Amino acid sequence: MADDKKTGERTKAASDYIKADTDNAVFLGNAHIDNLMTIVIAIGSEIWADRQRSRIMEHLLSTKGKVTTEMIEQFVPTDAQKTAWAAERDAMTKRVYSVLARDTSQGKPFGEERKFN
Amino acid sequence: MMDRRTLVGVGAAVTTAVSSFFGGRKAEAKAKDMPYPKGTMQPRGHMERLERFANLDIESRQDFLMSYRAFINTDLSRMANMRADAILKAKGIPRDKELSQEEAISLLQDDPVIAMSTRGWLSAQQLMWNGLKDEFEGNADRYLSEMEAADKMGPGKLELKPDLKLPDYVKHEIHIQPGGYVGNEFAGHMYHYGTNAFYTGRNFNDELHVGSANNMPIPKDGKVLRILDVGCGIGQLSMALKERFPKAEVWGIDVGGPMIRYAHLRSVERGLDVNFSQRLGEDTQFPDNYFDIVTSYIMFHEVSPEGTAAHVKEAMRIVRPGGIYYPLDFKLTGVPRRTAYGQYRGWMDHRWNNEVWTQKFRTNGLPDMIRKAGFELNEKEPELLRGFGILNATKPMNA
Repeated sequence: MADDKKTGERTKAASDYIKADTDNAVFLGNAHIDNLMTIVIAIGSEIWADRQRSRIMEHLLSTKGKVTTEMIEQFVPTDAQKTAWAAERDAMTKRVYSVLARDTSQGKPFGEERKFN
Repeated sequence: MMDRRTLVGVGAAVTTAVSSFFGGRKAEAKAKDMPYPKGTMQPRGHMERLERFANLDIESRQDFLMSYRAFINTDLSRMANMRADAILKAKGIPRDKELSQEEAISLLQDDPVIAMSTRGWLSAQQLMWNGLKDEFEGNADRYLSEMEAADKMGPGKLELKPDLKLPDYVKHEIHIQPGGYVGNEFAGHMYHYGTNAFYTGRNFNDELHVGSANNMPIPKDGKVLRILDVGCGIGQLSMALKERFPKAEVWGIDVGGPMIRYAHLRSVERGLDVNFSQRLGEDTQFPDNYFDIVTSYIMFHEVSPEGTAAHVKEAMRIVRPGGIYYPLDFKLTGVPRRTAYGQYRGWMDHRWNNEVWTQKFRTNGLPDMIRKAGFELNEKEPELLRGFGILNATKPMNA
């Protein structure tokens, strides 16, 4: 710590507030389906965090021959790496989630027979 | 730019020797010996002006959520718009028919693509804020000690007023930021990183605020000695104005104590002489005719109609004759009529993203309020920020 103070002893500036009720939002007919959507996005963020770590490790191993946690945390990507990794990230997002943009208006029920002429 | 961790090191070691805050080497050495938030060995530098997150994991998670937001705002929104058009067509409703918000919601809310798109947007927003909250609250001692170290430092001053009575309209968790602007010690931190996601990473250098400051009109006599940024938040426009007008006395006021505390921290880091004070925009406590320029950055859509009227009246009192009043916010004139999907999304933003006052902002007649208060209003130029409203008001010389 910077000094011996505990969190409770520190200068505070916050006051009371009015809480939003967004946590109660149900748009998909069942709160747990809404929750699943949140989980699916959260998993994407966790995967991307691991992917970033892997990319940095690969780079450090190939250029420095060793890697430590501190080297990973302190790593600053070059502009070229930033551009390439952002493109990879956006491609991953599209690859994984673009099914959500599928037109579902022609969706068929399980038991419906397909008719041919 | 000074490193925030250096502030803490020096603050703890040499509290009276302010000059040594900027000397730094001993402080940096001390700072390196201190424990950092979990997963971090030492400060990770900056992304331009924005301090990097304390560890790679949160940086990466937030980075992904920004990408997901962009995906929803492009690909998914396109499909949702198409679905809305198809639904209207199937019901025999012309696309250009003006629907009420209730009608639009009733028609569109059960479509799977539209509902999933909306749900995903909101989930990403919640995940972003919750991730930031966990980071800052989980390492509260560290971040609070950084702010404490900066509180008494200059060159500008910080005025926190814990007993200030706040009107209820400012207490909402606007855009579902945890605690809103007043209710969380790390409101400023969260706002900075969160809004950078809103700008999809294109505001690492406060580019939008610097651009707005550089386009700010000045009084005809060219005199700019005092400037006020009302509802300054984390002080991005205040600091940009100081950079453009280095000799001016610049103030940023906001109801949110944690917001201006973070603003002050940033101004200390950047060595900018800007004063930040916790005050109400409708009761600024400044003398009559004090300021040459009074402005605000995208504030009014977060203010109640009553609060808006009171702000404008107060601005008229504190702007000097010939001075400028320019509240920058969303466009109010020349805005295309909302499509059904636009009405639906407007409701989502209002009700579920908790933009409590935005819909009223669009109809509360701010330009007329400015005129009625006694300002001469020019709605043609200059545009401070591309695509935003133009409300360039001058207080008449004889007022």
